Formats: sequence, structure tokens, C-alpha cells
Amino acid sequence: MAGRLPIWLLAGFAALQPPLAHAQLHRGGELRLLTHAASGTIDPQINYEGAFWQVFSITYDGLVAFRKAAGPAGNELVPDLAEAIPAPQDGGRTYRFRLRQGVRFSDGREVGVEDVAASFRRIFRVSSPTSGSFYGGIVGADACLKQPTDCTLAGGVAVDAARREITFHLAAPDPEFLLKLGLPHAAVLPADAPPLDVGVTPLPGTGPYRITRYDPQTALRLERNPFFREWSKAAQPEGYPDAIDYQFGLSAEAEVTEVENGQADGVLDTIPPDRLGEIGEAHAAQVHIQPELAISYLPMNTRIPPFNNLQARRAVAFAIDRAALVKLAGGPALAEPLCQILPPGLPGHEDYCPFTKSPGTHWSAPDLDRARELVRQSGTAGQRVTLITAATPAGRLMGEYLQELLRDIGYDAHVNSISNNIEFTYIQNTNNNVQISTSAWMEDYPAPSDFLRVLFGCASFHPSSDSSVNISGFCNQAIEAEMDQAMALAITDPDAANRLWAKVDRDITDLAPAAVLLVPHAVVLVSTRVGNFIYSDQFRWILSQAWVQ
Amino acid sequence: MAGAILRRLAQALFVMIGISIVVFLIFFATPGADPAARIAGRNASPQTLEQVRHEFGFDRPLPVQYALMMRRLFVTQDLTSFVNRGQRVVPTVMAAAPVTLSLVVGAAVIWVLGGIALGVAAALTRGTIIDRTLMALGMVGIAAPAFWVAEMMNLLTQSRLHDTWLFRWVPPLGYTKLSVDPGGWALHLVIPWCTLAILYIGLYGRVLRNSLIEAYREPYIRTARAKGLSETRILLRHALRTALVGFVSLFGLDFGALVGGGAVLTEVIFGLPGVGKLTVDALQNLDLPFIMATVMYAAIFVVLANAAVDILYAVLDPRVRHAE
Amino acid sequence: MRRIWRDKAALLAALVLAALLVACAAAPLYARLVSGTDPFRSNITGTIMLDGHATQVLQPSPGGLQLGVTPIGPSWHAQYLLGADGLGRDLAARLLYGGRTSLLIAGAATLCCLALATLLGIVAGYFGGIVDAILARLLDLLWAFPVFLLAISLSIVLISGGLQLGPLHIEADSLALPVSVIAVIFIPYVARPIRGQVITLQRSEFVLAAIGIGAPSWRILARDIMPHVATTLAVFAPLVMALNLLTESALSFLSIGVQPPAASWGTIIQDGQELLYTRPLVALAPGLAIVLVVVALNTLGDAFRDALDPQARLRGRG
Repeated sequence: MAGRLPIWLLAGFAALQPPLAHAQLHRGGELRLLTHAASGTIDPQINYEGAFWQVFSITYDGLVAFRKAAGPAGNELVPDLAEAIPAPQDGGRTYRFRLRQGVRFSDGREVGVEDVAASFRRIFRVSSPTSGSFYGGIVGADACLKQPTDCTLAGGVAVDAARREITFHLAAPDPEFLLKLGLPHAAVLPADAPPLDVGVTPLPGTGPYRITRYDPQTALRLERNPFFREWSKAAQPEGYPDAIDYQFGLSAEAEVTEVENGQADGVLDTIPPDRLGEIGEAHAAQVHIQPELAISYLPMNTRIPPFNNLQARRAVAFAIDRAALVKLAGGPALAEPLCQILPPGLPGHEDYCPFTKSPGTHWSAPDLDRARELVRQSGTAGQRVTLITAATPAGRLMGEYLQELLRDIGYDAHVNSISNNIEFTYIQNTNNNVQISTSAWMEDYPAPSDFLRVLFGCASFHPSSDSSVNISGFCNQAIEAEMDQAMALAITDPDAANRLWAKVDRDITDLAPAAVLLVPHAVVLVSTRVGNFIYSDQFRWILSQAWVQ
Repeated sequence: MAGAILRRLAQALFVMIGISIVVFLIFFATPGADPAARIAGRNASPQTLEQVRHEFGFDRPLPVQYALMMRRLFVTQDLTSFVNRGQRVVPTVMAAAPVTLSLVVGAAVIWVLGGIALGVAAALTRGTIIDRTLMALGMVGIAAPAFWVAEMMNLLTQSRLHDTWLFRWVPPLGYTKLSVDPGGWALHLVIPWCTLAILYIGLYGRVLRNSLIEAYREPYIRTARAKGLSETRILLRHALRTALVGFVSLFGLDFGALVGGGAVLTEVIFGLPGVGKLTVDALQNLDLPFIMATVMYAAIFVVLANAAVDILYAVLDPRVRHAE
Repeated sequence: MRRIWRDKAALLAALVLAALLVACAAAPLYARLVSGTDPFRSNITGTIMLDGHATQVLQPSPGGLQLGVTPIGPSWHAQYLLGADGLGRDLAARLLYGGRTSLLIAGAATLCCLALATLLGIVAGYFGGIVDAILARLLDLLWAFPVFLLAISLSIVLISGGLQLGPLHIEADSLALPVSVIAVIFIPYVARPIRGQVITLQRSEFVLAAIGIGAPSWRILARDIMPHVATTLAVFAPLVMALNLLTESALSFLSIGVQPPAASWGTIIQDGQELLYTRPLVALAPGLAIVLVVVALNTLGDAFRDALDPQARLRGRG
């Protein structure tokens, strides 16, 4: 009897229909993804690879999460397993959360405060790579770092089961603590999760999907978590595909061909340069390009000749033709020049480029004359310089170009390519006396300190160690003081802190411990049937939101 | 006979132990190969590094580490990868073995039959344009870079000509098990078989041609002709048998190397998860457990193949047999 | 000997080989006079005049999203005759320069390999017994050796300025490195067939006869066994040359021997890997050059062998 119903009721119904129908319409199907190899363990508290963080973002949850949205909104924190994001108390040393009720793990058990506390202890028990760098500020963490097996975090994490409250006590104020809680290393796992790297055995999680199969040689499969009920669309929305299938083992060329043929839904590897033109012309609607919060740069060793000389370093920064490097990367759609440490889009970024023909905010052209003059003045002309790059086709191209450049400004330059998977640790170890190398850094979380303090802070320099991310060996006390000041300021006045970080960025850039080259863009190729492509800076393509039908 | 077999086995064991020690030494002598930092993760604190080093036993003396690794590889068989933690080495290699076997055996059938046909044809038409052309074509197959041939095959069959009647039947790259889907298994492997065989047909044809020409010079061939045997019989029963000695030597070497994981480029480019792919991944990741396992796996086949070849010498050439 | 020159195919092969060698030797002349480009300098942002239009050497993709750059293809003119590589360098000029390095490395490696392999193969096959057992196992070890692991390890060790082997100091760009590595890894490939051949030859009638009349070992080796082994070598030489040329590619990738910006056919093949779908010629051209060399050597080898061996007639006529 629709004719007898009041118009306003019908109108109301009509207004409601689209979102529900939308969701129903696109729900279902299997998303088939291709990537050349697995990325290590599926233990969310140990794995530190972006490729698997993408998986963990839809299989696990922390107390807070980064909003699953594109653009700047995707860098904001929203409450996830916690009911709300607390204001820091006690001068930034105490954070009190209230746990949401009714959330279940993929094995059916309800999440309780004891699970949260146990998960934080587990970070130390399994020797997570960030246990020291990110979570070392929690009271009791020192003891845990020394003796991981007996970790209690006493005084650091307190729970109240009756009020469903978890309280964190930090040894010193940390304005970035909340950001770190949004990372997979801080995922909430069942209290009885084994205190060791689970390797290939998935742990139960709270996300809309659970890992059902993992064979690092062939495949990874995610299926719906039967116990998931959406509690926050911003933090962890319900997923559209019924299952997500990763197939390992194909080369990037083969992957592109399969997606073009419609035999798979997405390529998660870097597109080979000789296919870019093809996909840009014939499959333009299936290509998604996004600048990353990452930099490609050349760390220079500030402790051994010739780059222990400031003028020599600045010469290199002036000489590099970033436009040529952009071209080598595949054109302006795939990279953009950058002179400073912080990439655009990161809080604290203020355009700054001193190393160009007319210094100002943006790079325009290299200044070879100035570079040669600086080399001459520095007295390092003619010295032997060896550039280390990774033995990948792109690495070799960049390496040969840079070798030529270094020769042009007056050095006896040589280039050496090392197997890709050990290049990163090789260039960090001071025993190898690496003068200059190629490297890249991607954000862990959207904060300036993740670039400036991690890459150029004194605490990140460990001589004779394979793990010394401050590859340049840069340690400047004045700048350290500025960074400490910015960290402290961030608790009370984030905007002022960001301005101070921008100043730190300029100061470090001027001292050129590294020559920054470009901001890379991520290129994702999907099949024609994939819709609703959302790319977040933090977790890349949000797979749970893809439509496959 | 039994004594000879036992002796060969002991020698084989010696080769395998030798290789494993060499791999171990090379790995630890390489600056930057220390796996602790790569296992611990990016920017790990010195304490975390120490934990990892202790957990994996990298702080123990090399001979102890070697013995432990050998024990975990062969006795308890629970050796796991350094890169993909929890992935057990032995089951993974065992799962990859049939893939490589399928690829290599199939290709071997093609190149052996093709090589024999090529060699016989060239030897019979020796000195003519046919001989020269056949040999030249064969050389092209050998000299063309393997990855170029494989990628071009992919370019044509998967990409450019995929929708034509010629290659519509070619399935997406990958491997299906023989036990699961024999038709699919074969379809997936046809192009890889041909690609791998192209690289070897010319070589084997050439070698056989040469050996045949040599064999025809032997006095016993003249005797056979004098006895009135037909040319075909002379070819098949007499000349070919001695000529195959050289052919078989090479085949033992190539087959042994390929089955042990030598067809790396073919496996990688065609997306076949075989031992060759495991080997190259292990090397690029400097994943010592997998390097050790794949190298020893390859060594087994090299030794076995060469032993089989030595036995075949006796079968093919009666003079060797009788002289023993 | 005169019979070689009557063999037309052999003559052609010799001419082709000679032309190639001369062209490679004249690489600097080509670069300076013909192509007018420096084949060792990148030309990423440069332009050249083609058919009256200024075209970029690394062309951005037209239309669509303008993703990617493609080096220009063959111009069939003096400049960029065969096109450019990924850094905008003249492929033809680099091919000629590369030929010098590759032929030198592969040639030297082939000679060493054949010499050592012949020695090992003959000694193992002729003397048999425990000598054979030891040598055959050594060959097995060599064949199963993880060469790529050694290459990766070597490439890293070499970075810090060379390798110290006792009194010997080897620089990273020393060509002795790739020559020795390549020569050694292919020794079993030649040694085992030779060993097999010697084992069967030992039992052949003329050898038994020679032993019967009391001829000394060296005489038997020189007069009865070597000629047959020589024909096998003539077959293997071009093959080993081909394999060496290709193996050199893998080693150059790890900066062993040939250092950037120097070129070898191997480095050009590697450069071409990234351009297969748009400019397959970059990887193909060195491959074709290798094929040319190998086919020519093959034909020459055959002719040589036939010329030295007048009694080899196949079909029993005469």
C-alpha cells in the first residue's frame, strides 16, 4: 500500500536507500593481488615492512588508529579499540584509555584490558625492532630491554578491569606517543599469544579480515573475520571483498601483463619502467598515482674524507640535476625534486631549497659552477670517492649518473653495486667506510621527528653496527637542543613545534649531511573491475575498501 | 660392484661436506653478510641486536654454528629461514623440487630428441648448406641470452599475441600440480619447456654431429660395411652408440646442474616456484639456511648425475665394459 | 691448408670475424667521427635533430598520463644508429667499445678454460684409478660450486679497494678477476667430455695396438689421443666462448671486472633488461653480436678440423 504512505516517509526511505544499497551492491568477491615475494614474518609486532603493514592495518587494531582515508585526513588519529583519544595528563606523561566493549578476536574471545597489557609486554618479549626506539619511553621499558623474557612493564602499563581502563605512564613526556600507538607494533593481541616470533602462523586479530593461510613461497590469504562488527567507520570500516588473495612469485613484468589481461586485480610491486608508457596510455583509468611521504637521498659520511668537509657536501647538493633524476625515474608523474629533509605533506614541512641556481622555495636547476668552486675551495678535489648503490636496474642507472656527476665536479669517482637486500645494512656500518651511498626513507608515522631525529639525531648513530640509521654520522649539539625543544613544545603548542621543526629541517639541510634527491610517487595498477580505490599515506591502498563487483 | 657403489657414495659425501663448508665460510667472510641486523629490523637498538644475535646463535664460534645448522638441516629438519621467519627450509625445498623436475625433464626430452635429430641430420648431410644452416641455427639458440628469450616468449604469448588463436590457450604464468590437473600442468609448462630446450638443442646437435663424424672413422665401421650391413643399422647400432658418449657426458653435467636448480632465469621469468627460484631468492636475501639447503640439494644432483654418466659409459661403449 | 680457403662458408666466417674485430678496435674512431657522441657520458636531458625535428633522447611518453620515458630507437643515421640506452648513450658506439672488453675477457677465459680442462680431462681419463677418482670428484665440486654466492661475496670484498691474496693484490677493475672466475667454472664442462672421450679412446684398437708394441705413454697421448681430443676442442671452443660471453654479463652486474662507465656486451645486456618491452634491441644487439662471433668461430672450427683430416669420409665412397 505504498500509495497510502505519507510522502515524507517515502522520501525518508528513499534517502536511506543509496548507502545501504551501495554497500550491498559492492560487497563480495575476491580481490586477487600480485607481488613478487613475501615480506617476512606475519607477526604484527615484529614485521617492519610496509607491504605487510598494509595487511596488518585490516587484520589488527590498536588503541588508536590512523583514519582510513586518503589525503591529509589519513594522517589523523581516531580512537580504535579505545573509546576516545585522551588528552595527555601529568605534563604529557600519563595517558588513560577506556577500552571499547564488545570487540572480539577472530577466535571469538572478547578483548579485555589484560590483552592490551599483555600485548605491550609482548613487544619487548619478542624483541620488536621498535621496542627501544618507539616504546622505550614507557616506565619499566629499560628493565624489559635488558631482560626481555621477564618483562613486566611494572609501573608502565596499569589496568583496571572493572572500569575497562588502561593507563600508560611514561618516563618522560612524549608528544608522539599516541602516533606510535597507531602502528601495527602496538596491535592488541590475545594475552596468550606466544612470546616469540610466530613466523608463518597467524595470530588472532580484531580486524574485518583474518589471515587464513601464509606460505611465503606462494600465497597469503585473508578471509572475513566472522566475529567482526564495525564499531568505527573512520578507524576500521567493514570490508567489501569476501577474501583477499596474494600470489607471490611472479616478476613485475608478468604481474603487469596479468592485470592488463584481467587475470588479477592489482600489482603491488614497482611498475617496470618499460611498461609505464603502455599503462599510462592504454590503461590510464586503471592507474593510481600518489606522492609518498618518503625521500630518496644520498647520505654522505661526515666523519671520513672527503665529505667530512662541509663545502664538499654542499657542492654535491648543488651539482645534482634533480630534473635528470626525475626523468630517470620515469618523468614528473613519478617523482618530484626535493632539496630538504622533510617531504611535502608532512607536518613541519615548509618549502625550502637552497641548492639550486636561484635559491628559494623550489628547485629549478643545478648550479655546476658553484659546485666546482666549492670543491676547489674545500681542497678535496681529486680525491677518490666510491658511491655504493643497490644492484637493481634503477640503482645502477642512478649510480652511473651520479658517478659521472661526481667526476664532473672534480672527484675520482667510482660506483659499486651491492646486492639489494644487504645494501641498507652495509652502508650503515662505519667499519665499511662508506663515503656516499643511495638510500631512501619512508615515514613510520607522520611526524617530523621520524625523519629529522631518526635520520640525523645523535642517538641514531652506533659505530661499528649494522643498525645505525644515522648513516651520515651527523651529530650537532645545537640542532639536538633544537629538536629536544621541538619535542617538548609539541605537547603544549603543536603549531609552534611544527614551525620549530621546519627550522630544524632548514638547519640540517644547510649543513648537507645528505643530498636529498626526490620524493617518489607510488604507482598502483589495478584491473578494470576494481572500484573505490582509496590510498592512505600511512597504509597505502586500503584493501578492505576495494570493490571487486 | 657393491664396493664400487660404496666408494662412490663415500666420495659423494665428501663432495657435499666440502661444498657446505665452502658456503659457510664464504658467507661469514663476506662483510655485511651478518644477518643479525637484517633479522632484528630497521633501526633496532643495540640491545635488540644483541638479543637477536644470542637467540640465533651468531655469537657462538663458527664450527659450532656450522654443526648446529647441519643438525637442524638434516637431523631435526626444523631449520628455518632468516628472512621469512618460521618458514621451514626442508619442506619448502621438497615442495619446489617437483616443479623443477617437471620443467627440466620435459625440456630435456625435447632437447635430447631434437639434439639427436639435429646431430644425425647434420652429420649425414655433412658439408652441405643444410649442415651449415642447422648448425648456425643451433648456435643462435646457445648464444642468445636466456632471459631475453624467455621474456620475449612472455611478451609474445602473454602480452602482444595473447588474444590471437596462436596463443589463446596459454594460461597465466604459474604452476599447477600434475596430480591436481594434468592438463593444466602441461599447458603451463609448454612454453617454458620450449624456451629451456632452445638453449640446449644447438649445443647437443653440434656435439653429436662431431662425435658421429669421429665414430664413422673407426675401423669397425668399415668392417660393418664390408659385412653388408645397411647404413641405417650401422648408424643406429654402431656409430650412434659410441658417438653418444660425448653427448651423455654433457647431458649429465647439464641435467644435473638444471635439476639441482640451475634453470633460474626460466623459473623466475615464467613464475615457476622451483628450486632455482628458491636459490636466487636465497642469494639475493643472503638467507644462509636456504643458501645452504639449495646448494647442497644441487650438489646431490650433480654428483648423482655424473655417477650415472660414468655408468652409462660402460653401457654405451662395450670396450669400456670389457676392459673393466 | 689451402683447402680452408676453398671452403666458401669458412671464408665468409673469417671475413665476418675480422670485420667485427676491426670495428671493435676502431671504436674510438667511430665514436669521434661517426656518431659524434661520447658513449660514456649520459645524455638524459639532451636532444638531437632527427628528420629536421629536435627530439629528446629520452622521450617522455606521449598522451595519456605521460608516464615513463623511452630512449629513442634506431635512427639508422650516423648519430644513434641503433638508438640510445637507458641513460641516453649511443648504443652502437657502446657496442663497439663493449666488444673489445667482452672479447678480451671471454677469449682469455676460453683459452685458460680449454687448456686446464684438457689437462685435467686427459690425466683423469688416461691414468684412471685413484687419480681419476680424485680429479673427477674435484670436477664435481667445481660444477656444484655456488658461483653466484662467491660472486656476491667477491663484489663486496672488492669495494674496499681490492683483494689481497697472499702476495698478490688484485684491483677491483682488474680484468683478471672475471677471466679467472669464468674460466674456472666452465672447466668441468669441457673436462668431463674429454675425460669420457679419453676413457673410450684408451680401449680403441689403435691405442691397444700402440701399447702392444710398447710405445711410451707420452707418445700414445701425443699421436693417438690428442688429435681426437683436438677435434672435440674445436667443437667446444666456440661453445665455451658463447657461454663465457654470457656469464660475463652476470659478473658485470656485480661490478666485478668491468666498472662503470666502461661497457661490455654483458653490461649492455643488463641495461637492456629494463627496456625489453619498449626497446628490445638494446638487449638484443649484444646478443646478436655474440651469436655472430660464435657462429663464425663455429664455422671456422669446422673448416679447420675438416682441412686437417682428409680421410674422414662419411658415406664410404672411395
